[in-house]
Amino acid sequence: MRVFVLQRVTAVALVVFLTLHMIVVHYPPGHLDFSRVMVRLANPVWKVIDILFLLSVLVHALAGAYAVLIDAERIMPYKRILAWGAIALGVVAFIYGTITIINFKVLV
Amino acid sequence: MSQAQNTGQVMKAVIRIQRFNPDVDRKPYLADYPLDITDDTTLLDALETIKNELDGSLTFRRSCRHAICGSCAMNINGKNTLVCNRRVKAFLDGKGRVTIRPLPYLPIIKDLVVDRSAFWEQYLRVKPWLIPPASYNENQAPNSEFRVMPEEVAALKNAETCIMCGACYSACSVVGMNKKYIGPHALLKSFLRVMDPRDSAPAERLENVGGDDGVFRCHTIFNCIDVCPKGLNPTQAIETLRKLAQKRRDFEAARVERQKTLEADHV
Repeated sequence: MRVFVLQRVTAVALVVFLTLHMIVVHYPPGHLDFSRVMVRLANPVWKVIDILFLLSVLVHALAGAYAVLIDAERIMPYKRILAWGAIALGVVAFIYGTITIINFKVLV
Repeated sequence: MSQAQNTGQVMKAVIRIQRFNPDVDRKPYLADYPLDITDDTTLLDALETIKNELDGSLTFRRSCRHAICGSCAMNINGKNTLVCNRRVKAFLDGKGRVTIRPLPYLPIIKDLVVDRSAFWEQYLRVKPWLIPPASYNENQAPNSEFRVMPEEVAALKNAETCIMCGACYSACSVVGMNKKYIGPHALLKSFLRVMDPRDSAPAERLENVGGDDGVFRCHTIFNCIDVCPKGLNPTQAIETLRKLAQKRRDFEAARVERQKTLEADHV
């Protein structure tokens, strides 16, 4: 039940984050160049948004993959191992992504 | 006398049936049976005619012929349905052929007969019987009935006409992957009991169906709705159980209050 609820909550969050992402990254208003992208990525507000986006994607994707995998009767007995594997993978990916996001700076 | 001789204009059809005799065959195969049919010939009529006139070894289940016993669910042209109330003509393809197979995802015993043990085991898991209010004494005949409101009865309408044919169960892809999944038929029955104000164990039921093999396993594929010969909606019942499973304590408390009024009316 917890996995189910987590996946639904992150799905709603993804609607918001993906909409923002599409507008800002793929269809930005005005002229788009490298320096403007760097300015946005260095902005602390955008860093928080990107970190939350990353968290939502990871939780949603891993919860979904976990739910699909344990549908198989043969995998069901190993669901605890699978759950801990997904959590470990999620934590590693989140730390790696967060470090990347935090390290963006405006080039002088 | 074949059904084709009874009524209407006679036409040719080929009934393609999946055959399998575990004592002889290594794997199932398809056999064609040419038949004369009319507009009114049902799939069950066709099977009966083949068994009586062409091949007596053909094996299938049937009983009431009125779409109420649920015995004759089979897979017709890839979709589960009852064969007793469906006309052959409606299923004929461009070559005048209809293909009848046993229900998928279930072990074949012989020809169109499948082993439904898993289906019934899952059904019993949800305790499909009513657990009456505490005041009910089974050793003493009650003087009056438990009075249920019309809107409470209306809420059960979706579930109470299930005939346990197994069409939904064997159409469910999750069942195909995992036989431990409770299945749409049993979850629909559980919904019936959970929503019934006379039942005094909704929290226990919701805990049971909210577990690993229950409602959260459903992927909302809608196969169960698509094939149900009674037009029921197990997916809606599963969605309702999902919501209630997340607030089962509150639901139980509300049921306790409701049963106090039930018991006050019940003398």
